[in-house]
Amino acid sequence: MKMKRNARIELVILLALGGGVILTMLLPQVAARRRAAPPAEVSVILREADTALWSNVRLGMEQAAGELGAELRVLTPAGNNDGAGQLDLLRREAGQTAVLVIAPADCAGLDRALAETGAGCPIVSLESPLAKADLTVAPDNAALGAALAEAALAQGGEGYVLLLSASPDSAGVAARLEGARQALEAAGARVRVGETDLSGTGLADLLKQPDLSAVMAFEPALTEQAAALKDSLGLDLPLYGAGVTARGAAWLERGVISAAAAWSDFAVGYLAVEGAMALARGQAAQTEQLPFFIVRGEEIYEPEYQKLLFPVG
Amino acid sequence: MALFKRLAARAREGYRRMSIQLLLSLSFTAVALAGIAFMGASLLLRFSDSAQSLTQEATQRVLAQVNMNLDSHLRRMMRVSDTVYYRIIKKTDLTQRSMGEAMSLLYEENRDALVSIAVFNEGGGLETAVPLSSIKPTAFPNESSWFCLALERMENLHFSTPHIQELFDDPDHPYRWVVSLSRHVQLTRDGNTERGVLLVDMNFSGIAQVCRDIELPNGGYVYLTDRSGELIYHPRQQLIYSGLLEENNLTAAGYPDGSHHERFQGQEREVTVKTVGYTGWKLVGVVPAGQLWGEGDSLLLFGVSILLFSAFLMAFLNFRISEHISDPILRLDQAVKELEAGREDVEIEESGGGELRRLSHSIASMVSTMRHLMDDIIQQEAQKRRSELEVLQSQINPHFLYNTLDSVIWMTEAGRTQEAIQMVTSLARLFRIALSGGRRIIPLSDELDHARHYLSIQKIRYKNKFDLRVKAEPGTEGLYMLKLTIQPLLENAVYHGMAGAEEDGLISVEARREGDELIIDVTDNGVGMRPELAATLLSDQRPQLRTSGSGIGVRNVHRRIQLTFGEAYGLTIFSEPDEGTTVRLRLPALDGEQAARLEQEDAP
Repeated sequence: MKMKRNARIELVILLALGGGVILTMLLPQVAARRRAAPPAEVSVILREADTALWSNVRLGMEQAAGELGAELRVLTPAGNNDGAGQLDLLRREAGQTAVLVIAPADCAGLDRALAETGAGCPIVSLESPLAKADLTVAPDNAALGAALAEAALAQGGEGYVLLLSASPDSAGVAARLEGARQALEAAGARVRVGETDLSGTGLADLLKQPDLSAVMAFEPALTEQAAALKDSLGLDLPLYGAGVTARGAAWLERGVISAAAAWSDFAVGYLAVEGAMALARGQAAQTEQLPFFIVRGEEIYEPEYQKLLFPVG
Repeated sequence: MALFKRLAARAREGYRRMSIQLLLSLSFTAVALAGIAFMGASLLLRFSDSAQSLTQEATQRVLAQVNMNLDSHLRRMMRVSDTVYYRIIKKTDLTQRSMGEAMSLLYEENRDALVSIAVFNEGGGLETAVPLSSIKPTAFPNESSWFCLALERMENLHFSTPHIQELFDDPDHPYRWVVSLSRHVQLTRDGNTERGVLLVDMNFSGIAQVCRDIELPNGGYVYLTDRSGELIYHPRQQLIYSGLLEENNLTAAGYPDGSHHERFQGQEREVTVKTVGYTGWKLVGVVPAGQLWGEGDSLLLFGVSILLFSAFLMAFLNFRISEHISDPILRLDQAVKELEAGREDVEIEESGGGELRRLSHSIASMVSTMRHLMDDIIQQEAQKRRSELEVLQSQINPHFLYNTLDSVIWMTEAGRTQEAIQMVTSLARLFRIALSGGRRIIPLSDELDHARHYLSIQKIRYKNKFDLRVKAEPGTEGLYMLKLTIQPLLENAVYHGMAGAEEDGLISVEARREGDELIIDVTDNGVGMRPELAATLLSDQRPQLRTSGSGIGVRNVHRRIQLTFGEAYGLTIFSEPDEGTTVRLRLPALDGEQAARLEQEDAP
């Protein structure tokens, strides 16, 4: 019995030491395996056909993808704000990708479709919140619209403020417009909403209205088109936009755009893919609302603004 | 305190109950583990120091290389600036010819690194620029920091931090990141010199190219700041610009060249700083210290694994060596326990080390001595028993001889020669049987003969006052018994039973076999005695008075039988006053072979 007890104690000591050896041998391999997590595919579905509008977002996405081991696939619908096309892309990608990042063109339609069939993978929404999205990366759209309206109000002027709307089904863009409308109306300004589309059809007619004191656009593509049209038509209307692309910055610098609400597109892209990778690995993803700022043409070379508007390539 | 005492008591108790093997095993293992732990700690400290030194040296080497490349790149730009100034500007009178062609050639030679080369007059007006010549209407060079610095500190070349090129319209690359190199120059216009500023905008990607993809140990990286800590290059620069990441660049810019340890955002880091020659820029190498399960820790874990494996081997060897050392002790302990338990065939093995071998030898010797002593004691006991038997036997002979000779004398004196002859003849026969060649176990027939001769003698002496009947039932033939056991009983029957008899006395001896026992009843029809008295006759408590009726003869026979055959055998006395007495001998039914064996065993 005593021998058995001795043998048991010896066995326990040997097992403890042996276990320690195995543990210390295995830990680095486990850690290495954990570090070398397999890359996850992230499909990105944009809202516009023109990917140049999203170039800075893509820079952020590529930075995050490189750091976190994501394989990016960026897809665009056949036309601008093509909600049906986005839905087709979403259904095609849902079974093939780990996470879907989408800038929804038709939020309500997308929500309905997702409620019926489900996405089949986590969804990160850009620009607009979605009911079924696991994460939304966007500034406070209503506040952004309101801030832009404040900038317009500061400029003053008689007449209507034309609020251009080309993506009424995009909840984010609509929220910006609504935020601006409320701020303007609260300040006693007269407001008119002008419906157009991202191809610019009918935009010239809207801009040529004689009783306008200012024009506001709430998405980069429309802002660029309005600026280009204003410049070509030689209109002397203050133009306010949302989002600053390279082309938009040029209009801003030249004073065609009086002021723009801007945010870091690079941060949008980075945070979207970072959140997507967290979701792909089964972790919780949470991000705060993106900060935005109102920038005027003479301010774009301020060190802090140029760092945000023109990502270091 | 009470808990400590209780624990100490438990430890003492555990130590007391611990086997020597476990004690040796645990002691050896504890010492080995302590040694290995000490060695491991020393190696760890040494390794840690070495790893830190190696990391610092590696980082410094990498920084030196990056510094060299960066310095080379910046010197190239400075050479461009020098060339423009000394070979073009100094040799050109602006009223006579343009500098553009020569500057274009220079630009073409270095277009991989340059964005533009421009010369401004003191008021900020553009004199010449290549390859871009269209200055933006919103651009005011004389308000730029590079312009002001060049005019303020004329003797130096000034490198700016990265910024967007904002002077010229560039349809291909409207917003390019550049680093500006500016200097004060003396322009010649119509023979007169005037102040101006030469601006060389170098492509930021050239600097980024030098610093990019630099890998330091443990996932470290390199970044570049100006002398005030303003970030010039960082591998995650845009994340910092976007506010998604922070860097300790402002603090690091204050570090002197060399290695430093810092804690930033909860992370310990080894920071190595190297100043880039002319510019005063700071190259900063950051190596996270103690990154969990990083490369350094993998090596550390491997070291720990080796130490643990060494401890495992040491423990295993310790257990085997302890077993080897303690095994002879345990076997000796087991042998002593078996000896204590009374086992006689225990072998004391002499094995193990010198002291243990001597101890085993001593115990074996002691056991051997003890066995010899025990044998001696047994022999002495046997001898003592034999002596006692002989004494008991010898206690019979004097009685008998005395009585017989007394009768012979009496008959001879009375002239009863024939009876005297008969008595002497019987006496001779009696003695012949009594001697029986020195054997103690004799045939039953001889013993009965002996009884007949004895009673013949006594019958003559007592003038035929009693009759004699000796009978052996069938089945008793060939049986053996202890000699001279019946005669003392007959003697008692004669002296005590027949003492009051007239001529109707009867003494009978009847032998029969009951299973494995031989039963002999010696019966007289004499005066008898009370059963209580009869019961005390065989008791050892009865005083040994040599008086007639003391029962010594009967008790001697009883003891002889029991000494020889055991407690199961002996005498039983049945008696009633005036009815007579029967003394029953209970003996083992011995055949010739058993008798011979018994005789041999009892031989001295």
